[in-house]
Amino acid sequence: MDRTDVAENENIQILLEKAKGGDRLAFKTIVTLYQQKVFLLAYSILRNREDARDIVQETFLKLYRKLDAYEREKNFQAWLLQMAKNLCLDYYRKNYSRRKELESAKSIEELNLAADDGSNNPTSSDLRQVFSRCLEKLGDRQRLIFVLKHYNGLQYQEIAQILNISVGTVKSLHFKAVRNLRNLLGPLVGMES
Amino acid sequence: MSECRRVRENLVAFLCGELGEGEKENVRRHLNACSLCRRELKQLQQTLQSARSLNPEMEKTLASVNWEALAEKIVHAVWNEEARPRRLPGRERFRLSAPKLRAVFAGLLLGVLVGALATYLVFRGRLPQRNGGEKLFASGEFLDRVDLEIARRETLDYLEKSQYVLLEFVESRARPGKFEPGGLAAQRAKELLEKKKFLNPQLEKAQMAKAKEICDQIELLFYELAQISESLTEQQRQEIQNLIEERKLLLRINLLRKELQESEV
Repeated sequence: MDRTDVAENENIQILLEKAKGGDRLAFKTIVTLYQQKVFLLAYSILRNREDARDIVQETFLKLYRKLDAYEREKNFQAWLLQMAKNLCLDYYRKNYSRRKELESAKSIEELNLAADDGSNNPTSSDLRQVFSRCLEKLGDRQRLIFVLKHYNGLQYQEIAQILNISVGTVKSLHFKAVRNLRNLLGPLVGMES
Repeated sequence: MSECRRVRENLVAFLCGELGEGEKENVRRHLNACSLCRRELKQLQQTLQSARSLNPEMEKTLASVNWEALAEKIVHAVWNEEARPRRLPGRERFRLSAPKLRAVFAGLLLGVLVGALATYLVFRGRLPQRNGGEKLFASGEFLDRVDLEIARRETLDYLEKSQYVLLEFVESRARPGKFEPGGLAAQRAKELLEKKKFLNPQLEKAQMAKAKEICDQIELLFYELAQISESLTEQQRQEIQNLIEERKLLLRINLLRKELQESEV
């Protein structure tokens, strides 16, 4: 943790201690500080606003139950996002088949943006759809690392703490995720070669 | 080439500002000299730019949530749902899950378990027994179904093994010397005769008259087979063969097995 993180962590310690003692306002402050980060993580994985809101609530419920288990030397944000990530993955695994059925029947190939008119400038909405599908094609760990890096704006170090793996592994999986996305996207968006 | 490979593995981290100064400089130097890696860099850059296509949607979604209300809802849910007593700061609260109490609870639990076991061992012989020693408390109908199912499975097993012995016997006629009744077959016949003794009460109880009739006929054959000690004369072989054929035993076994298999309880 760098100096800013340490200071932030110390402030959080105070809030956590107060929350443990039943200070409702302190707990609400923690929720207010971190709920958007948890939401972003959940939304990036689940791609559903309501499900992400549920995950936010579940995460903070779990946090309250586990307040005693928190160790001071841990990075609080990484610890919290680790809980959120686990809840998201459980939810994703349980509901994945249902989601697949509910999704549009269009495959990635059908959304081939470069095929029809030869244009290399797909609309942002089309690109969003294609990219979203490609992202889902990645393996769980690659997708999660990509999401944590690009949509949660976390550093490799924090991602490593959340996923409980080494920084080297994060770097390697992130590289593979981007390379796989490039391979999937390339022919669809007419990527320059 | 190996330099290209090494650099390419660092390109994503390079683009995301995750490389140290030294590594960054190495990548820059290589890119200046290698057009293939520059092309790779450009494609990865385009991919990361595509990733930003999701950002507006995320921002829109983030803006659509009433965060104040959500925070209040969460805190309300936590305080209500948990309903656990508030702890006063600085004061040690008595908690059943406190680590120092775990050993006490473990000891208590062990004591209860040992006591329960001792009570069971001491009093198990003195417990009142129903129906002359039967300790089952299931309904009569259920027990009948269990009996029938056991009889069905035992009969199927018996028929399958018998069929195997008889088939081997019938086929041995075409290939003399393969089947030695005095040895293995007699042994198998004896084993099946033993099994039949066990099966008889079950067939009676489960009222499986048809199965009993066929099993009785098989028993008779096996009785003869088991009696033959060393070798089988051609005449004896012929007699047994005739019995199997006359009574169409193999066909009837097949039909009965099929019927039993379909009548699972």
